Amino acid sequence: MNFSTYIRGIFKGLRSLAGGMSVTGKEFLTPKVTMEYPENRKTLVISDRWRSELIMPHDEQNEHACTACGICMINCPNGTIRVISASIDTEEGKKKKILDKHLWDYGSCTFCNLCVISCPSDAIVFNNDFEGAVFNRSKLVHQLNHTGSKLREKKREPLPANSEKTTDK
Amino acid sequence: MRDITHIIRQAAEDAQIEERQKLTVTVKPRQLHPVVEALYRNKELPFDYLVSLTGMDWGETLGVIYQFSSSADLTQEVVIMTATADREDPLLYSITDLYETAHLNEREVYALFGIRFINNPDMRRFLLNDQWKGFPFRKDYSHDTGLNPVTVISSEIVDVAPCIRETADGKLIEENNPVFDEEDYIVNIGPQHPSTHGVMHFRTSLDGEIVKKVDVHSGYIHRGIEKLCESMTYPQMLHLTDRLDYLSANINRHALCMCIEKAAEIEVPGRAQYIRTIMDELQRISSHLLAWACQCNDLGATTAFIYGMREREHVLDIFDKTCGGRLIVNQNVVGGIMFDIYPDFRKDVNVFIPYMRKRLKEYDDFFSHNPIALGRMKHIGYLSREDAISYGVTGPAGRASGWSCDVRKYKPYALYDRVEFNEVMRTEGDSYARYQNRLDEIAQSLHIIEQLIDNIPEGEVCAKTKPVIRLPQGQFFQSVETGKGEFGVFVESRGDKTPYRVKFRSPSLSAVSVMPLICRDAFLSDLIGIAGSMDFVIPDIDR
Amino acid sequence: MQLKTMLFYSHPLELTRILEAIDTFLRIHLSPGLATLAEGILVGLLLLATYAMIALALIYIERKVAASFQARLGPNRLGKYGVFQSFADMIKILIKEIIQIKKADKLLFYVAPFFVIVASVLAFGALPFGMNLQAIDFNIGVFYLLAVSSLGVIGILLAGWSSNNKYSMIGAMRSGAQFISYELSAGFSLMTIVVLSGTMQFSEIIEGQRYCWNLFNGHLPAMIAFLIYLISGHAETNRGPFDLPEAESELTAGYHTEYSGLQFGFFYLSEYLNMFIVAAVAATVFLGGWMPLQIKGWEAFNQAMWFIPSWVWFFGKAGLLMFFSLWVRWSFPRLRIDLLLNLEWKYLLPANLVNLLVMVVVVLSGLTLTELFPALFGN
Repeated sequence: MNFSTYIRGIFKGLRSLAGGMSVTGKEFLTPKVTMEYPENRKTLVISDRWRSELIMPHDEQNEHACTACGICMINCPNGTIRVISASIDTEEGKKKKILDKHLWDYGSCTFCNLCVISCPSDAIVFNNDFEGAVFNRSKLVHQLNHTGSKLREKKREPLPANSEKTTDK
Repeated sequence: MRDITHIIRQAAEDAQIEERQKLTVTVKPRQLHPVVEALYRNKELPFDYLVSLTGMDWGETLGVIYQFSSSADLTQEVVIMTATADREDPLLYSITDLYETAHLNEREVYALFGIRFINNPDMRRFLLNDQWKGFPFRKDYSHDTGLNPVTVISSEIVDVAPCIRETADGKLIEENNPVFDEEDYIVNIGPQHPSTHGVMHFRTSLDGEIVKKVDVHSGYIHRGIEKLCESMTYPQMLHLTDRLDYLSANINRHALCMCIEKAAEIEVPGRAQYIRTIMDELQRISSHLLAWACQCNDLGATTAFIYGMREREHVLDIFDKTCGGRLIVNQNVVGGIMFDIYPDFRKDVNVFIPYMRKRLKEYDDFFSHNPIALGRMKHIGYLSREDAISYGVTGPAGRASGWSCDVRKYKPYALYDRVEFNEVMRTEGDSYARYQNRLDEIAQSLHIIEQLIDNIPEGEVCAKTKPVIRLPQGQFFQSVETGKGEFGVFVESRGDKTPYRVKFRSPSLSAVSVMPLICRDAFLSDLIGIAGSMDFVIPDIDR
Repeated sequence: MQLKTMLFYSHPLELTRILEAIDTFLRIHLSPGLATLAEGILVGLLLLATYAMIALALIYIERKVAASFQARLGPNRLGKYGVFQSFADMIKILIKEIIQIKKADKLLFYVAPFFVIVASVLAFGALPFGMNLQAIDFNIGVFYLLAVSSLGVIGILLAGWSSNNKYSMIGAMRSGAQFISYELSAGFSLMTIVVLSGTMQFSEIIEGQRYCWNLFNGHLPAMIAFLIYLISGHAETNRGPFDLPEAESELTAGYHTEYSGLQFGFFYLSEYLNMFIVAAVAATVFLGGWMPLQIKGWEAFNQAMWFIPSWVWFFGKAGLLMFFSLWVRWSFPRLRIDLLLNLEWKYLLPANLVNLLVMVVVVLSGLTLTELFPALFGN
């Protein structure tokens, strides 16, 4: 190493150091884009497809589309869903299986979406309401069908995904 | 191919050679080593790259499936199977003298299947601790939790490596070799350490600041995903692949989907192929960004870490809008993709590409020519081409050692045969070459996306599949290029709706297995820096 | 008395007046011996309080500045812009348990933080904060400062040695090597300025820079000395890119890995204070200390400058240097121990020795700015 390369090396090094500092210096003056949750709750945009909480959309008549077939339960990789059915006598006097409870465990769900895509009657969807924190684990088990709800009689157009929450966000 | 059969026949006359998805050879345990050695020493086309080593429990027999390839031409592949009927003390011959990557893989097979390998100098269990009772991946393993109770008492790590050696006259001798000298000053880097990128554990013996020896301990988050897969249907299995190398979640899942689609002969619609390719490349960008960020952070530049995260955020935003997941994206399904792109997808990606290019320039100004950074990366952690192949180090790290090993080029899948991109190669083999390779690959990925984004065809995004997917009987392989290297999926099916055995070839395992070699005689600080440059992800190793 | 009134009107915000009032008050009410004692205690308490306040402020500022460099916001939860964060942290540290380490060398483990903090308090006490705002004005001020600030390394070595932790040990050993090397450079670069000013007394050094800062007075050699002092001072404080003894990504926390609660707090405080001390010394020696900006002949301008009190000037100059130090810290990766020692022994030290010689030549041959242009810069 001769003297001139030694000196040149120093200056080259200093120049690149200055280059690095100019990058951080520029960033120092750049306004920050960090979102401050929860202050920004009103303006916060969560994407429509964000999978957060499994819900069963009910219409105004408190009717849902779940036939209690249990396909979602079978398809769930880790036993997160339990469909409890009851049988009732219809007017014609036949036995019919209806939904009693549709239980979903927030705590063990991996949000793989298999239940939603495998559901033959599009009865369940994920919504994007991500604020699901609770104080104990038992509260993580959600019952998806509302009390007193019943199966929608006629086959109607399936509700678009996340119809409940997306409109206001 | 005829040459290969010829070579195999020469080494073992009664080897059973079949043309399946790949050329499959079944040999007796005694013949294994000669056959492998003959392939390894084949002048014209040396099979010097051990892609994967899979332990198997075929019911009556226990065995191993070796998948070999040639470093010169990755399309040349041979699968060799061998098995032993002794379930009490199964013994097979080791090939660690030919392939360095076999070391950890054979130890893994021992831990999970109980097969011991003769002439492997270090036959400790990998992934499981020494006290584990039973071999969990065997089909007759008892799931009784009382067998291996959860304990809160820590047990000392015993640095003694048992080994079975075959003497010249054919006798087997059991030996115990110490891993470290008694005088060694051993420092535990991990499992709780800021720079091991997860729960990795390096037992490091130091001479002052100089690293003398590194012993890799892993398995702290071993979840037995491969075993879990055996009890799941094919669509259910998919969500576990996202949890291997979570930084390449989408690409891993793509591999498994393609493996199943190939086996079940499902045609994937063109639109889905476009979207899969674009998403894979976005995923690669995010993976490389994180690798860049972490490597800089390991070298002490915390600011760079945040800058990398800042850009990665934009990719994750696109993911999140496309498929509702950021890290675990859940995009690919058997037959196509789960979610079609959202209306603004094209716009967002077209905004991201120039933005990212600008940032790459900034990274160069900021870090790539910084004399301190150069001092910490140049000529550090040198990995030669031969070692890269022997250890099976693929991906940007392998290509930094001058080994052309891009699966996208050799075995193009999805749309990689229709887009134009360069395989980024360097020959220096040091940390800096790996560092630059990643940044250059980001640029290449942007180039690929640019070619595809405006040409996405209309149409279906998912082929119709049967409600229950069953694969025909057989063995199926698929590899893809993730951010870390070649990720392989192996599925053995017996015609059921669940697989008989699933194996994931982990690029990170190779990357970590080479650490003892490239860290020898380096400084302790460089051990961390080199680990950052190898860019391994622990859940991918521990599976 | 005439002079003092003049001082009061021309320097309205100086603290001299209050200090004198207190002094007079004490001397009226107490015997001379007791008064001196009481003043000593007061000064001591005041210094300690300032010490703690500066540390807390610096911690907050560093976190905010670092955040800005890193595209983040920094503390923003406690109070407006998170201004009370440091106080909350302090309270937390005070009430945390001090964990006893098995097989640690109890005595050494216990005293190590005191060494570190005492060294930095001793150095802090001798700083000239403003006009007449100096606890003691040694005639060998620069020498004293170098001497006491090098005490801190003993604490770090002890901490690493006694913790019975390999990370701590490695950190401490690195620190020893680093500190001793860079102490040399820091010393030499200060000596360069001592040659220029011809004194080691801070008050005289500052007075000598009334119209021309040493940085400019000694032009080339002084600037080189300034640069070297900044680098080596930065290295002495164990802050990035020279934070090898802590090296978060390598040694988790280096020499203070095993410390908790207040003991850790001592290390923490002294780290920030050392940064301040280095910046303050650089400001005093090279940038004219508390002396406001004065230009010969511009009496009105000079008087206007004096309306800004001297301690503001002092903290302003030191703050500017600290900002620079933060900027460097958050821009560069960490050096490795051999690169670090290379930098010192192959680059800084030879440069320093030559530089010292050049400075001697410059001073002897009258090439300083004050001597070249006495009309502009001479005192």
